[in-house]
Amino acid sequence: MKREILAVSCFCCFCFFALPLLAHHSFGAEYDANNPITVTGVLTKIEWTNPHSFIYVDVTDDKGNVANWKLEGYPPNVLYRNGWKKDTTMKIGDKITVTGWRARDGTNLAQSREVTLPSGKKMIFGPPSGTGDGGAAPAVEVR
Amino acid sequence: MRGLLIILITGVVSVPASLPAQTTKTKVNTTAGKAVPRTTDGKPDLTGVWQGGSSARGSWEEANSGLGLGGNGTNPDGPSVRSASERPTGESAPYQPWAAQKVLESYKKRGIDDPVNLCLPPGPTRAATQGLFPIQFIQTPKQITILYEYMNTFRNIPLNAKHPDDIVPTYMGDSVGRWEGDTLVVDIIGFNDRTWLQGTGTFHTEALHVTERYTRIDKDQINYEATMEDPNVFTKPWTIRSTIMLREGTRVREAVCAENNVDAARFEQYKKDGVNFSR
Repeated sequence: MKREILAVSCFCCFCFFALPLLAHHSFGAEYDANNPITVTGVLTKIEWTNPHSFIYVDVTDDKGNVANWKLEGYPPNVLYRNGWKKDTTMKIGDKITVTGWRARDGTNLAQSREVTLPSGKKMIFGPPSGTGDGGAAPAVEVR
Repeated sequence: MRGLLIILITGVVSVPASLPAQTTKTKVNTTAGKAVPRTTDGKPDLTGVWQGGSSARGSWEEANSGLGLGGNGTNPDGPSVRSASERPTGESAPYQPWAAQKVLESYKKRGIDDPVNLCLPPGPTRAATQGLFPIQFIQTPKQITILYEYMNTFRNIPLNAKHPDDIVPTYMGDSVGRWEGDTLVVDIIGFNDRTWLQGTGTFHTEALHVTERYTRIDKDQINYEATMEDPNVFTKPWTIRSTIMLREGTRVREAVCAENNVDAARFEQYKKDGVNFSR
């Protein structure tokens, strides 16, 4: 019996070259760059909203328990310019896989990075890890 | 703090991977570009839609398919375009020691005190150097208007005019412009103290005075320079440089930040719940 799998991977020190970036909120404060995750499940809702979009995914574990995950990403205009088409590229009910980084509070919330669509095509939905928190070095040099 | 000493503020970010624009700059600048379009009065015509924080030529899709949103789209850890939280290269930022300490505190808090977290306007220097959202120039002989998709803000820049006497401090300041040869020079005063200049925590006071220089060197590229002066926080003027690239076929679109801005509240909840996000 096929089951959707939620794989939460913690690779300490992985991804911590944390590329600075994004234009807006400090994703790096909200999400843990040392806690990358991969979520596979059924898309239940899409919020094409500013300043950030959200997708919601029902994930079923090995015991049949279903958890709804919320994943944050780029705003609609950025997604549009990256090839996303609202209500076309991805639809409710689609089985998708999303990579990203989990929220620091440990809830079923994550910053998304890449979405694998039912066709197998991969598209960027959110920014790199550590985005918007000032990068890997402060504006001031310290010793 | 273990006696950490702030030695200086550097405008040269020690994260080269974050500056894809710089890696292509030399190549771009040696490419023979097409002629600068000019208005009927002979001035460079800046009219068009542009992208800051980039030095790649081509359409938005061409210029950003490799760098913009993550490598070639298959590498999630690929570099992205420059954000409004990041600084372009330039001379060191000469904050006074007490002010540098304040900048460092913002960095340690991962920028949760960034004014744009509240959907407030970013100020002109961040608006000009971020790369995720396009910029539109509308040029007439007497005024240039810049529309920023980021925070849906704008600037009117009357040419050969004086600042009004009744300025009330604002986020984007009061701009007046003039042509020095082929360079548009914009003088900005009248700022409030609620924006950051370049990079996390780079605060200023209402004494801020910015001088921008826009030089369109060919059809595709504007060289951007901003000198920021604020005797209350700096020991000397701070100059940053970046490039702004033409993006034909791109539209500046509506983007209402306040629509669903849940992140700031989440920061507050984190603090209330004792979730550690500092570094």
